[in-house]
Amino acid sequence: MSLLADALEHLVRGIVDHPDDVRVNLVTTRRGRTLEVHVHPDDLGKVIGRGGRTATALRTVMAGIGGRGVRVDVVDTDR
Amino acid sequence: MSETLQATDDVEASSPAEAEAEPQSQSKTEDLLVQEGDIAGDYLERLLDLLDYDGDIDLDVESGRAVVSIDGGEDLSKLVGPRGNVLESLQELTRLAVQQETGVRSRLMLDIAQWRAGRRAELAELGRSTAEKVLASGERARLHPMTPFERKVVHDAVAAVAGVHSESEGEEPQRRVIIFPKP
Repeated sequence: MSLLADALEHLVRGIVDHPDDVRVNLVTTRRGRTLEVHVHPDDLGKVIGRGGRTATALRTVMAGIGGRGVRVDVVDTDR
Repeated sequence: MSETLQATDDVEASSPAEAEAEPQSQSKTEDLLVQEGDIAGDYLERLLDLLDYDGDIDLDVESGRAVVSIDGGEDLSKLVGPRGNVLESLQELTRLAVQQETGVRSRLMLDIAQWRAGRRAELAELGRSTAEKVLASGERARLHPMTPFERKVVHDAVAAVAGVHSESEGEEPQRRVIIFPKP
């Protein structure tokens, strides 16, 4: 199952300025499985993209690979 | 809306192409396109490795853009998805990964399991046959919403039929091709 997290981590690392700061955790709750994406605060905009376009692309690819039940959350660590 | 739409604010200032006002670079040098293919190939190969999917990656340069094709096992259909939506998303991410390294926006085309090739043939046939109907009836025809790639294939097919022309109408993702009889 960490296969999904590894794949997502790779996809995100390729598109940011600080690849070493990318972490993806698979979290299982009663509501289902979520892949939490942590990136350097300066890279948040890149991972989300204009109008959320890049985040949507990441979700679409993960849904294709992992089936439907997996959510992708980009975690805002800058709060 | 451009098919390569992407925020570029954070790109390193060292790239000379960033200074150009024209977003559509005229003719990228062959070297840059080969480099785009190499970066994309590495990015996708690592993804296939992590997923343990079988796939051969082929790199090419066609009409001014890098083309990356993946062919192989049945798993690849997951990377195409319904109506190619996973393929479109993976192409977008791959373009971003290329831009991350080159500093230049990429128009790279990704194909998986010959999906685009098959879809192209279907759409060309749809464009041609609809154009023939419009020609016979004199009535315009509206096709269902399509991606920029799909619309381009249809426009090209319609252009090959004399006596009709086509335009795109509406906003993404509802943008669609309309075929008109020529007055």
